[in-house]
Amino acid sequence: MTRLGAWAALALLLPPAAADPVVYRLDPAHSFVHFEVLHFGTSTLRGRFGVPEGLVELDRAAGRGYAWVRIDTARVDTGLPAFDARLRQPDLLASDAHPQATFVASSFSFDGDQVRAVRGEFTLRGIGQGLELRALRFGCHRHPQLQREVCGGDFEGELRRADFGASFGMPFVANRVRLVLQVEGIRQ
Amino acid sequence: MHKLLAASALSLAIVLPAQANNYVIDPTHTFVIYEIGHFGTSTNRGRFDKKEGTVQFDRAARTGKVEIAFDLTAISTGVAPLDKHLQSADFFDTAKHPSAKFVGDRFVFNGDKVAEVGGTLTMLGKSLPVTLKANLFNCYMNPLVKREVCGGDFETTIKRSQWGMNWGLNMGVPDEVRLLIQVEAIKQ
Repeated sequence: MTRLGAWAALALLLPPAAADPVVYRLDPAHSFVHFEVLHFGTSTLRGRFGVPEGLVELDRAAGRGYAWVRIDTARVDTGLPAFDARLRQPDLLASDAHPQATFVASSFSFDGDQVRAVRGEFTLRGIGQGLELRALRFGCHRHPQLQREVCGGDFEGELRRADFGASFGMPFVANRVRLVLQVEGIRQ
Repeated sequence: MHKLLAASALSLAIVLPAQANNYVIDPTHTFVIYEIGHFGTSTNRGRFDKKEGTVQFDRAARTGKVEIAFDLTAISTGVAPLDKHLQSADFFDTAKHPSAKFVGDRFVFNGDKVAEVGGTLTMLGKSLPVTLKANLFNCYMNPLVKREVCGGDFETTIKRSQWGMNWGLNMGVPDEVRLLIQVEAIKQ
């Protein structure tokens, strides 16, 4: 999706009159989606996706938020090129047919002005499923170089890859996938 | 030590033949990921992709020894300029110290599972004791290689300043670094 397309998608999600909305653009240098899946009941396989594009709007006064995040499935990075190539195949990430995965969320819960959880829809291999991301930590700081507010944190969530039709290798490689996200958004 | 020797002798007598089996680290299922806090907001992660090592492991005698070396020039954070900075003299100084090594010879068992491995981590030319705690440990017959594979998930938290890696401490970059270790080793 183009940058303009992303803004248009966000605009569609926004209610007409938000009280005090602040838009953050995710910083690709500090935003990653890591996945963890159990291998033969023995050790944890890990991999990551960069986040080339993501927009979050927070309206802390109204206790509302909206998020739109894109990852490029072909850019999966496990540290093993051969494994990355296997993951891109049609029975796993199906990167040729479905080059993008997206998370679109409009249900945020807050604890004071801290984001506690984000619920939305995760679309992978063209299949959308509900996904909740819980904050392990959340905070904001003033970035010394950018001289702008940066908000973000660590989030975790869980999905079952078979729900998205990516069931190759089960049960030796588990169905349950833990997602660990690092996100930082720069105030626009 | 006498007690341990006695116990080893006893297990030798009862479970014959009890000898250390040699395992070779499976580089495709062995990774170290570090985690370090970023401005108190989110967690930065990086991965070491090139490694080799061996394990001698005797479950009956409850002894073992692991030696594993990581090529620090193969650090991967997903952010190329950060990879470069980490290899500079500010951090790993890979021109002078291209690799890090862990030698673990203090295996602590819980039943027949490894619970802890104590040893020495050599980094930046300095060797200091570290203890890796097992979050998971298991052995299984791998159907692809048709051999026993043992491994698990380990973790430890170190203070990087102990190895002389001090960059950014005065700017609030944390001293504590959590290491997440996936390891699997194939019986020879």
